[in-house]
Amino acid sequence: MSLGATSPERRRGTIQSVDRAARILKVLGTGTSRMGVTEIASRLGLAKGTAYGLLRTLEAQELVEQDPETDKYRLGPAMLQLGNAFLDNHELRGRSLLWADSLASRVGEAVRVGVLHGSHVLIVHHVFRPDNSVQILEVGASIPWHACALGKAIAAYLSEAARRQLLESAMTALTGRTITDPGALEVTLLATAEDGYAFEDEEAIVGEAEIAGAVFDDMGHPIGAIGVVGPVERLLTDGEPASTLVAAVRETARGLSRDMGAGRARAGRGVRS
Amino acid sequence: MVTAVTERPMHEPGEGRAPYGESEIRRWVRGSADVISANRDFLTQLDAAIGDADHGINMDRGFSAAVTDLDASVDLPPGELLIRVGGTLIYRVGGAAGPLFGTCLRRAGESLGDAERFDGEDLLKAMRAGLDGIQGLGAAIEGDKTIVDAYVPAVGAFERALRAGGDAASAAHKAADASREAARDTVPMQARKGRASYLGPRSVGHQDPGATSAALLFAALARALDGER
Repeated sequence: MSLGATSPERRRGTIQSVDRAARILKVLGTGTSRMGVTEIASRLGLAKGTAYGLLRTLEAQELVEQDPETDKYRLGPAMLQLGNAFLDNHELRGRSLLWADSLASRVGEAVRVGVLHGSHVLIVHHVFRPDNSVQILEVGASIPWHACALGKAIAAYLSEAARRQLLESAMTALTGRTITDPGALEVTLLATAEDGYAFEDEEAIVGEAEIAGAVFDDMGHPIGAIGVVGPVERLLTDGEPASTLVAAVRETARGLSRDMGAGRARAGRGVRS
Repeated sequence: MVTAVTERPMHEPGEGRAPYGESEIRRWVRGSADVISANRDFLTQLDAAIGDADHGINMDRGFSAAVTDLDASVDLPPGELLIRVGGTLIYRVGGAAGPLFGTCLRRAGESLGDAERFDGEDLLKAMRAGLDGIQGLGAAIEGDKTIVDAYVPAVGAFERALRAGGDAASAAHKAADASREAARDTVPMQARKGRASYLGPRSVGHQDPGATSAALLFAALARALDGER
């Protein structure tokens, strides 16, 4: 989700032209989706001719395409196929589809499945709140781990070293209620491991809350989380999650963990290493 | 942002011949409802690009409810009216915009207190109180691509116009202009707060719906102080 991984200086052992081509795709992946050669070249600090050659090559592979009217470039149809292939090959996502559907219809709220990616949770599956309202698909969204219940659910069961690394990462406030103090978060994670679920109270978006449970693999490692997200007034009462929702989320996380190969005891609790 | 403390010697809310009262607040809420309704689809379209595609619908529902509420509330001082409308917005707009705009109005209303009349200085103080409310909830600063981006420049323009000796109505027009421009300036920003921030660089290139709504409300305020509806 971020362009941060693309350092202008080449990393050792990488190929410059591939690096440049990847950076072109990422620039075209911002909201300013159509750009001319000159703009792309200046954004990446490349000579115009170099940028043009790279674009032509990407175009031949349908990774970018040129608008015939404006001559501007945008991402091409092959990108969609690649994105879909990533999701199709994602085992947790694949196995979560039915679980997420049934959780959403059981509780009448939106459901998301996420995995940890650096210090962010990447949403790999999203089932809309079943009320026929217009909603926007959040698959591909990237949420700071400390601001969402999915992230806290996963972090609670990570190894000490991995958890420490998350707690030491830069944490920004997304709302006035986001917890950014490592000590306070650590206490939250201990409670999460004890209770078997995590929640957040308007910590990511004003007016929204989320309740989530970690999903474990056959080794008892947290490979992701599944959770219910929706208006704070429906999910929490006096800052505490509704018990029916907690039960539904925990059962779902347990079932999905079993599908992922976790043993019964581990699916229920996970191990905190 | 909200650092400068206004010096207001020998003046308390409503004292003297403060030019505005309940009718301006009523005109503003009705005018806001009108302009939000007229821009309902536009706001929703903006939100569809980077949010949940419901901003226009939610704001329209909330302000319609606020107008109904207004008609049922008689003989209330301006501050009380604002507190009431703010409460309605929190519950009827929903999402993030409800609590943010609703809390803004409640804080502004509390700042006006129970005085029957208010002037430009009272209004400036109320605007700042509203901004504090928004920032307390959302933790957003300028540049995050939120309501705050259209709000801070409006307060700045309003204060400058007052300090230059302008009346509150002309200052409110300056505020509305600054706010409208600032809302447009959110286009190249990458969102750092709200659902749009989940999109990372994909949020670039779209005007922020919250900032756009804020600008519409400042435009309605300018018209309300003019005496038009």
